[in-house]
Amino acid sequence: MIILFLLTMLQVKVPDAQEFVGPPKGVPVAGAMLDQRTNEVAALLRCPVCQGLSVADSPSLMARDMKQSVRDMLARGYTQEQILAFFERSYGQFVLLKPKFQGVAALVWLLPIAALIFGAVVVFSKAKKLEEEPAAATDATPETVDPYVARVRELVEKS
Amino acid sequence: MNRTVLITGLVLTAAIVVILFVGLGKDPQHIESPLIGKPAPQFALQAIGSHETLDVASLRGKPAIINFWATWCGPCYQEHPTLVQSAKMLGGNVQFVGIVFNDTEEKIQQFLNERGSAYPTLLDAQGKTAQAYGVGGVPETFFLNAAGQIVAKYEGPLTTEALQSELAKAMK
Repeated sequence: MIILFLLTMLQVKVPDAQEFVGPPKGVPVAGAMLDQRTNEVAALLRCPVCQGLSVADSPSLMARDMKQSVRDMLARGYTQEQILAFFERSYGQFVLLKPKFQGVAALVWLLPIAALIFGAVVVFSKAKKLEEEPAAATDATPETVDPYVARVRELVEKS
Repeated sequence: MNRTVLITGLVLTAAIVVILFVGLGKDPQHIESPLIGKPAPQFALQAIGSHETLDVASLRGKPAIINFWATWCGPCYQEHPTLVQSAKMLGGNVQFVGIVFNDTEEKIQQFLNERGSAYPTLLDAQGKTAQAYGVGGVPETFFLNAAGQIVAKYEGPLTTEALQSELAKAMK
């Protein structure tokens, strides 16, 4: 029975990081440094079943499993970039708490900046135009005077 | 100048509004799977109630449905009869596989004994298979075509209509 169980366990194969991101490119980490790096890398990953929590902060079972995977990969010598790429391959950019500056994510940053610059240019050019035409602006003033007020002035001057 | 300013301003505003509308209108828990169109990640997991393992490669040749679930998940109880009935109806043409994670073999066995089973249920002890498939919660179901490529992912409890609709993509 035990032999049968062991044979089954030997046949069990779970998807391995090497299949997705190749062999480790870094140095295996151990001890206290492993705990620290696990927390640092897990803090960059979003817990898929939580509302805005990182894998490092979430107490959920899913986050716990993901954190364990991060730990295993660091212990095997995988780099932070490889670990993030491993999770991104399955979950997409959703899993990254700091999305990459590309595609729609880049537009979210670039468009408001473009709108601000455009607005500043418009305001600046309008201000410049007003500075250049002060006389015209003054000349235009009498035209806007209320005819009733003009008539009153005229009567006052005559009297 | 005024016309150019107006058009440019409108274009910029419209782009920002569209991005905000699309971004804020999305379900924050929905994960767009980057695995669609790619080969299903490899695994060989132990089947509950037996000492045999089932390899994802063995699913090739027919469309397959891989359903991630757990006994602690309420909606999984809801969709289980749909899956069992569909597996009994389509069993010859479609392969059904259940993968359970964050759970114990005893609870799974009890669940299947009480509610019936019509296809292999595998145990993903450390949740690594679920992670490789980008599972963000249970139940979640992946539809594979005969070549072993993932063609669709369904989040939440499956209804018969949803199963048929997603399966149609795998049949193409």
